[in-house]
Amino acid sequence: MGHGKWDDDAYAAARTFRAAKGIDDFGYTASMRSTPRDRWRADPSLDPLGVAARECLDSADHADSTPIAVLFDVTGSMGRVPQVMQRKLGRLHGLLRRKGYLADPQLMFGGIGDADSDRVPLQVGQFESDNRMDEQLRTIFLEGNGGGQKSESYELAAYFVARHVVTDAWRKRGRKGYLFLIGDELNKPRLEARHIRRVIGDDVRQDVDPASVYRELARKWHVYFVLPRQSHHYDDPEIAEHWRELLGQHFLKLEDPGAVCELIAATIGLEERVVDLDQAMVDLAEVGSAAESRAVGKALVRVGPAALAASAAPPDLDGPDDVTLS
Amino acid sequence: MTGRAGVTGHVVVVGLGFGDEGKGAVVDALCRDGSVSSVVRFNGGAQAAHNVVADGRHHTFSQFGSGTLAGVPTLLSRHVLVEPIALAAEARELAALGVADPLRLVTAHADALLTTPFHVAANRVREDARGPRRHGSCGKGIGETVWYSLLARRAARPGDVVEGQVVPGEPGEAPTVGDCARRAVLRRKLDALARCYRPLAGDGTSVAGLVALYRAFADAVRIVDGDEVGRRADAGRLVLEGAQGVLLDQDHGFHPHTTWSSTTPRNARLLLGGRPARVLGVTRTYQTRHGAGPLPTEDAALPARFPERHNGTGEYQGAWRAGHLDAVLLRHAVAACGGVDGLAVTHLDARDLSVATAYRTASGPVTRLPAGVDRTAFVAGCAPVVEPLPDPVAWLEREVGVPVEVTGRGPDRADYTVRTPVAA
Repeated sequence: MGHGKWDDDAYAAARTFRAAKGIDDFGYTASMRSTPRDRWRADPSLDPLGVAARECLDSADHADSTPIAVLFDVTGSMGRVPQVMQRKLGRLHGLLRRKGYLADPQLMFGGIGDADSDRVPLQVGQFESDNRMDEQLRTIFLEGNGGGQKSESYELAAYFVARHVVTDAWRKRGRKGYLFLIGDELNKPRLEARHIRRVIGDDVRQDVDPASVYRELARKWHVYFVLPRQSHHYDDPEIAEHWRELLGQHFLKLEDPGAVCELIAATIGLEERVVDLDQAMVDLAEVGSAAESRAVGKALVRVGPAALAASAAPPDLDGPDDVTLS
Repeated sequence: MTGRAGVTGHVVVVGLGFGDEGKGAVVDALCRDGSVSSVVRFNGGAQAAHNVVADGRHHTFSQFGSGTLAGVPTLLSRHVLVEPIALAAEARELAALGVADPLRLVTAHADALLTTPFHVAANRVREDARGPRRHGSCGKGIGETVWYSLLARRAARPGDVVEGQVVPGEPGEAPTVGDCARRAVLRRKLDALARCYRPLAGDGTSVAGLVALYRAFADAVRIVDGDEVGRRADAGRLVLEGAQGVLLDQDHGFHPHTTWSSTTPRNARLLLGGRPARVLGVTRTYQTRHGAGPLPTEDAALPARFPERHNGTGEYQGAWRAGHLDAVLLRHAVAACGGVDGLAVTHLDARDLSVATAYRTASGPVTRLPAGVDRTAFVAGCAPVVEPLPDPVAWLEREVGVPVEVTGRGPDRADYTVRTPVAA
């Protein structure tokens, strides 16, 4: 059994056994839904409140760890996309390892909601390099609400990653991690201090400009925003404009939400310069469906390897420089 | 069960060759009339490859019993090695063929040993290191699973040589199917296993991930203990399905080209606890073998004459080989079984057959393998006496002295005939 293949085989086996038992793939969501709304909360393993830091550390087994954080929008406007992604993302680790894009990827998953209207606006797991990722994905609460004002609390998630994630990749090697935000709306106009206090527990007294959060984040992370089709706002030009202003060419539109895991793998392969776009497409065609690799190809075509290489520096981020995160 | 004659007798299906005799199709043929309540696997593990073609559906049975397409449940007895990841993959294959919820058909005994990715990796590293002296391993960790289970009992230490293999690290107790439902025990045993094999198999597998996976396995597959075979035997009719063949048996085969398993009816008899059962020996009309090891009647022209739809070069095992029916090996196999009560003969559609009735040796012709010699060296140094075999069924009935009860003339269920009621 090859090392990379183990992940995929074991993941598939666990799904098979769960399906036979009749355990829902989203067991936590199912159990929350059967309780009154005022008791909805994140599973303790995913609750950011009071978390000093999520750590992505090297170990004897994983001496060259690279953090990859994937946080996806779990609100109603995303339709069935979170379920599709939850089913698919478990394969990501196997894909990265098998194709040799990264030696020691460590993945963290999380869910993003709306701090103005949701009970559970932010969930963040731990960095894992084995099939516990699968359990983490199944434990994410797909709350499914959202405020209906075309904005979600992405900046709250970005703040958490900027301030509450510690990685050996950065500390020891000055290497950036990867953050993929997957959603279909705008950031909130302000990152409100009261939300930071309530959801994360930091004693912040002043609202923060989201652009400054992304600027800080970009020092230690390659930040991407993926807008998948089937979500409400796929063709809304305001969304594209908003994210391009923040992230430049790191804003990716994806036609097939089922290809999100392949898109992430290909993006990392390009950024790491392990492959060019053509080779990434060949790799994906080997492991996934032709339709999925076509969707990934379209999403990345405007990025391209040259553009990605240039983007190692943070894209131009606007917003006043004097806004500090207190 | 009903009291009709011929319906309540238990049947042990055992291969009289080097495997690939057609046991799977024979088990399916016995099961298709609905008279069988369970198929019991009594040896081997995920390396079994029993082909069944039924109504256009083909499946290579590995851990599921070959009665599955006939809807018959499988019991994996305490003598079977269980590999949950492969079992799940097989369940998906069967589901794709239209078997509804295949895992509901499987029960596993708590004492059955678990084959883990550590065993598989170690098996492959060792076989690779043998280079040209390969044993013909399937690369599925079977022998390694049995071997590891011996270490703790023998108080083996790192660096010791046990049964010809070096102990890589500090061994612990072998994990079993029953441990899957006990997280702490499983964790402890898998940690020990991982540590022991680390010098050989590296760090590719996460114990934590494996614990979660095996827990899901225990939730999905019914696990039993005690004398489950006895309970089922008293309630219905069993077919006990052997894996591999008698010529690969750990005691009666040709070392080192053997499997770490009793392929004779020995385990089946132990499980039945003295209850009567007929032993049905399965043979092709010619001899085959997969991978390395002696095959005295091998004829390079035969594989081309007898095209093989479901057997090719094994990913790990090596080439598919064929030779003429070998009466000397057949007599040896039947004797190793303690005799058989009936025969099943497959590949009767093969034409222009031959049989080796004896071997020429330096000290004259022999019709039986002599006792007290190195069997492997003996067959390697003999010359078979080959003559035509116009009527294999008549020849086999005369030679072995028992009826041919099942015949197969092609790969499909429709090509199989149960000639006489296979009854106790």
